[in-house]
Order: sequence, then C-alpha cells, then structure tokens
Amino acid sequence: MEFTVLFLAVAIVMVVAWWGRRSLALGLFAVVLLACVATYLHHATDTLKLSF
Amino acid sequence: MTRSSATTLNALGLYAVAMVLATAFGAQLLLHELPCPLCLLQRVAFTVLAVGPIMNIRWGPRPSHYALSLLAAVAGAVFSSRQVLLHIMPGDAGYGTALLGYHYYTLALTAFTAAIVLLAAMLLFDRQFEEYRAAQAVAPGTFATTAVWLVIALTALNVVSTLLECGFGACADNPLVYELLKR
Repeated sequence: MEFTVLFLAVAIVMVVAWWGRRSLALGLFAVVLLACVATYLHHATDTLKLSF
Repeated sequence: MTRSSATTLNALGLYAVAMVLATAFGAQLLLHELPCPLCLLQRVAFTVLAVGPIMNIRWGPRPSHYALSLLAAVAGAVFSSRQVLLHIMPGDAGYGTALLGYHYYTLALTAFTAAIVLLAAMLLFDRQFEEYRAAQAVAPGTFATTAVWLVIALTALNVVSTLLECGFGACADNPLVYELLKR
C-alpha cells in the first residue's frame, strides 16, 4: 500500500511541477523524497524471505 | 549550451526514464514477474528522478532543478545497491530474470550512477542558466510536452499496477500473484 501512495504522490508532484506553483512543487518533492527514504529505512530492517 | 538545447536534453532524459519504466512494465507483464518491495522503491526513485527535468522544461533550467534529480539519483543508487548486496554471495541466483546478463537491480544501479554523472555534466554548462531570470516561464514544444505526459502516464500506470499487486495491505516480500485479482 505504501508504494501505491508513493507512486500517487510522485504523480501529483509531477502534475504540480507542470501546472502548479514552483514553490509548492519543491515542497512536495521534499516530502516525497523523505517518504521514500523512510520507506527504505523501514524495509532495510526486514529480512527478505525469497522462495529460491 | 543554450537554454533550448538544455531543454531538449532534459526531454531526452525524460524519454530515458520513460523507457526504463516501460521496460520494467514489459518484464512484469510478459514474464509475469511481479516487482518486490525494493524493486518498487527503485521504480519510485526513477519517477522522482523525472521531476527535475519536468521543472527544467516548465520553468527553464535552474541548478536547483538539477539538484532535485541528483538527490533522487543518489537515493535510487542507495536502494539498488542494497539489493545488489543482498544477492552478492557466490551461488545466489539473484531475484528475477536477468536482462542482457544483468538483473534489474544491477541495471538500475548502473542507470542511477549514469544519471548522477550526466546531471553533474549538465551543471558544467552555465550559459543555460543565464536567461532564466529574464523569462520566468517558456512554452515547451511538442517533443518536450510529450515526454512530460509520457512519464506522468507511466507513473499513473504504476499507481494502478502497484494497487493491484499489493492491495490495501503491505506488499509481499516475494510477490507471486496480484492481491486484488486473487479469486
């Protein structure tokens, strides 16, 4: 679910970057990048259970 | 390098990101290989990488826009490095099918590293930044506009695909079926 939200958030940032205010796009970009790093750090503590 | 040639190169960068996203989709649909959480995070990093070029095309080239892409490329390189290291032990078959002898995460690390080098190279050309104060916004051509909407469309497709794959819960570590299409 978190990845769906991340993709949606990036799509929104892109649309704002194209149509909206520049400062808003920059702010949203920072939020999305921090969310990506937080997601990475959350998953970095998991053990990957692969089937092979 | 003039502002217009920088805009063209930024549009080419967007087409490159679109090609990466389309190839990942192609592998997902043709080979029936669902992306793992780290694979999805690398895809997200590729889409975040595209925000800088979009802003360069919309608002004109600025160092701050290149900085956005540099940050995204560094994050993407970290994400893909982790997956490379997870499978670096001799005898490890790796995750997913290899493309041209390399797994997707190895190719992603190569692409993110190349992006960092290319972005740094773009920052070497100061003339592209001289005009941005004079004209705040420019009307981009069809080539650049198509690139922007192609990347936005592929990102939107990833929203749908990831929702189908993961459903409303956490994504599986080794996904085999689309959660929302399970009977």
